Amino acid sequence: MKRRKFLMVAVGGISASVSLPALLRAQTQNQVKIGILTALSGAQAIYGEQTKRGVEYFAKEVNARGGILGKPVEIIYEDSVADPATAVRKAQKLVEKDGVKFLTGLSMSSEALAISPKGPEWNSLLISNITGAGALTTTAFNRNFFRINKSAAMGARVTSLYLQDSPMKRFYGLGNDYAYGRDAVASFSKQATALGKEIVGTAFPPVGTKDYASYIIRIKESGAQGCYFALTGGDVPIFFKQALQFGLTRDVKMILETLDNKYIDQVGDAMEGTIGSTRYAYTIDTPKNQKFVAGFHAMHNVYPDYPDAVVYQGLDWLAQAIEKAGTADDLEKIITAWEDSTYEGLEGSLFMRKCDHQVVQGGYMTEAARDPKFPHLVPKILTHYSAERVTPKCRTENFD
Amino acid sequence: MWSFVVVQLLNALSLAALLFLVAAGLTLIFGILRVVNFAHGAFYMVGAYLGFTTVVLSGRFWLALLVVPPIVGLIGASLEVSTLRFIYQRSPNYQLLLTFGIGLVLEETVRVIYGANSKSVDAPSLLDGSVHLFGTPYPTYRLFLTGLGIAIALGVWLFFARTHAGLIIRAMAQNSEMANCLGTNVQRVRTLVFGASCALAAVGGVASAPMTTAYLGMSVNVVVDAFVVVVIGGLGSVVGSAAGSLIVAAAQTWGGYYISETAMILMYLVMGAILIFRPHGLFGEKE
Amino acid sequence: MTRSRVLVLTYAITLAVLFAIPWLLARYQLSIFIELLIFGLFAMSLDLIMGYAGMISFGHAAYFGLGAYASGLILIHFEAPIPVALLAGIALAGAVAAPVGWLSTRATGIYFAMLTLAFAQLLYTLAYKWRELTGGSDGIAGVPKTALFWGLPNVTSPAVFYFIVLSCLLSSWIACRALIRSPFGHAIQGIRENEARFVSLGRDSRPFKLLVFVIAAGVAGLAGALFAPFRGFASPEAMFWVASGQVIMMVILGGIGTLIGPIIGAMVFILIQEVLSSHTAHWMLFTGIVFVLMVILLPGGIVGLARRLFEGRT
Repeated sequence: MKRRKFLMVAVGGISASVSLPALLRAQTQNQVKIGILTALSGAQAIYGEQTKRGVEYFAKEVNARGGILGKPVEIIYEDSVADPATAVRKAQKLVEKDGVKFLTGLSMSSEALAISPKGPEWNSLLISNITGAGALTTTAFNRNFFRINKSAAMGARVTSLYLQDSPMKRFYGLGNDYAYGRDAVASFSKQATALGKEIVGTAFPPVGTKDYASYIIRIKESGAQGCYFALTGGDVPIFFKQALQFGLTRDVKMILETLDNKYIDQVGDAMEGTIGSTRYAYTIDTPKNQKFVAGFHAMHNVYPDYPDAVVYQGLDWLAQAIEKAGTADDLEKIITAWEDSTYEGLEGSLFMRKCDHQVVQGGYMTEAARDPKFPHLVPKILTHYSAERVTPKCRTENFD
Repeated sequence: MWSFVVVQLLNALSLAALLFLVAAGLTLIFGILRVVNFAHGAFYMVGAYLGFTTVVLSGRFWLALLVVPPIVGLIGASLEVSTLRFIYQRSPNYQLLLTFGIGLVLEETVRVIYGANSKSVDAPSLLDGSVHLFGTPYPTYRLFLTGLGIAIALGVWLFFARTHAGLIIRAMAQNSEMANCLGTNVQRVRTLVFGASCALAAVGGVASAPMTTAYLGMSVNVVVDAFVVVVIGGLGSVVGSAAGSLIVAAAQTWGGYYISETAMILMYLVMGAILIFRPHGLFGEKE
Repeated sequence: MTRSRVLVLTYAITLAVLFAIPWLLARYQLSIFIELLIFGLFAMSLDLIMGYAGMISFGHAAYFGLGAYASGLILIHFEAPIPVALLAGIALAGAVAAPVGWLSTRATGIYFAMLTLAFAQLLYTLAYKWRELTGGSDGIAGVPKTALFWGLPNVTSPAVFYFIVLSCLLSSWIACRALIRSPFGHAIQGIRENEARFVSLGRDSRPFKLLVFVIAAGVAGLAGALFAPFRGFASPEAMFWVASGQVIMMVILGGIGTLIGPIIGAMVFILIQEVLSSHTAHWMLFTGIVFVLMVILLPGGIVGLARRLFEGRT
């Protein structure tokens, strides 16, 4: 009997405590609210950290010039812990409780795939700054989704184009055993084979493998000249540490699907000579990027990595679309204004393709190299490929 | 051909050493304190990160190996005294929740202090090279790790089998009330055992950092493997943990090579098969 | 007022409040509340095994996940009415739990728990790798909310979905309570108290343990089957051992062996994280501290605390 009384009180208590914050929170409509949903804690927290920095830089810059349409920009951060169920719950909170219409910053493709279909239902836009799954702009596409970053297929494309001219013929593909790892290696294998190269083997170690020794042995025995890696952010440093110890880095050319600055930070000098396609590098030599890098460094005391730079550009472009549409509330107008629009990005001109909302952009191949101006390795730009060669056909992952 | 077999064998041994260092403490905590320690992976991680700091500050890996385990042991002991001690009489479920909570606190504290980037730890130059076996280079550090695992395994076994203190602890594990009557300070022994187990996990952490780096996912990645090792070997049996480590390491090393598709589950299949035929693990005892 | 009258009154008031919830809460709070109920159902199913049969399962989340996938796939590919998806979830979870339970009950105690973990990880790996069916590590997204019955329009209002979840929770609770009070339930609790004595009285304990394991899995499957259309997706993370660990925490927090306790525990567990994570990136630290404090200061979980408070009064 006492249990029932308690249940009653509990239900009442829970309802009250859940309603109270909502009652207390004043409704403000003269702000443009942007929701940043990213991995702020947990094993993938590095992505959240790097996204947050870029957002802070954007917020400072945009509010310094008076906001968007004269309204100040309010940024609300939520922690998705890189878990799709948490991400959906937090996204719903941002949209329904905080009144946010623009979501960005997601760290994992699985989160984006779970949230993207909800856009039309929630009347919100989802902007991808790092998630690379092909399905987001192909089979799972809807008009409330915009992808600013290069997709995984585009990264593989850049690498294949670069290797086409290389004397290396035999390659091994190593990807962690999940969607990104499998898709990237499959994409690279397909494109490299089409360009006349030979894939001598592939392997898919589980995410979070502690001991890569067996895989290193396999790569050594395969006779590969180069090895293409699509590993998670957490696995790259572990793999490289062990590969270095086995001497693999001397014998085989290391090719990363994405050569992020954080890998150079974490692995250190052992990374010298590794090449890879990159989503963004702070060494890109345009006036706009130099200004961005300088301002970012002044604010955060580090060089920007790609989550920083891409989320910054995405939000800046969103601001541009809102200004052009003349409204921050009518999503249809904003979507229409954004489609087929051009933006002066950090690496050059970017174009938002109407048919699948994938930004048409070129790609860079970089190498972790020594530079006398810095005490650490830098991502040196090897070559650039134009947008036409790197962006796949509309709503597909095919290039020819 | 031979070079490959030897190299894989060495790979399996070094992985087994790493697993044993973590699992040994876990099995001791269960065998003697009857506690399922969900925080064990966190102590391993703390050991690795503190090892990183020690190497950064002093430049000496050997110092880390000497200094960090006692520090982590102290942390473990103080946690035991302030929290676990109050709930021994309660059902084991509460210990689960408590150690889970402690694990969360430790993991998050590491993240707050060290940030989200993984930390690379360099092995001392003595161990940093490679040894030439059958024409291929093999990392010296892995050989060291194997040696360390064997040394600690022998040490722990000797302690329990041959020393007076070990005898007392074993008695206490069998019947703590009787041991208490015979004059053992049960509470103090419990604290010591918990602290020592955490220190063991920390040895594993410091030792594995040059091979795996110190990273935030360490705890989650090692905990399940450690539990599987302990269960295969039989809870409370150090010999069992050694056997279990070898079995799990073999499954992960050869499974990883031959059928990487099943690398994720081979360990569980082996554990399942063993438990079905020996429901208390290889060396475990019926409760 | 007689005791039974007070009891009836309390039931009536509780039910009334629960039925009034869609009008008491704002839209966002209602969706949180629905999620609390779904996980409450999930935690309650684990209490059947943990609290009443005395078996710790480290792999219970696998059945939640199976329910979610079954329901999600049926809704996406066949657009069948919601009850069909729910039945599919229960059926798949129960069907898989049967052989798993049969093999696992060969062992007891922590060994049993580790076997359940092993099987759960196997199922997780299956879901993770069978991309064509389950979408692999990305899971399946875009699970629709369909209709209650053939011919009716699709469920779009959160209030309607709330009542679906509430009725599932209430009917499961009533069924579980009936089960506990039945001869079967008494046998299960007898096994928990002293399995050796039970066996010495001439009965085999394994079929009982197996049956309660399968029933608990089925109820967990129901919770998962509700989750898929609610959140619109099903992913392997729901089956990972971390999720199994979390539901154990919910049960212990709420009060093991009380059926109601785990429901409350699930709500508290999720709410603590939800509220804390909006305020600080270090919410895991505070959550851990809260758990440690609750374990030390609150024996018997939340329900235990409530009992002591109310017992002080009467």
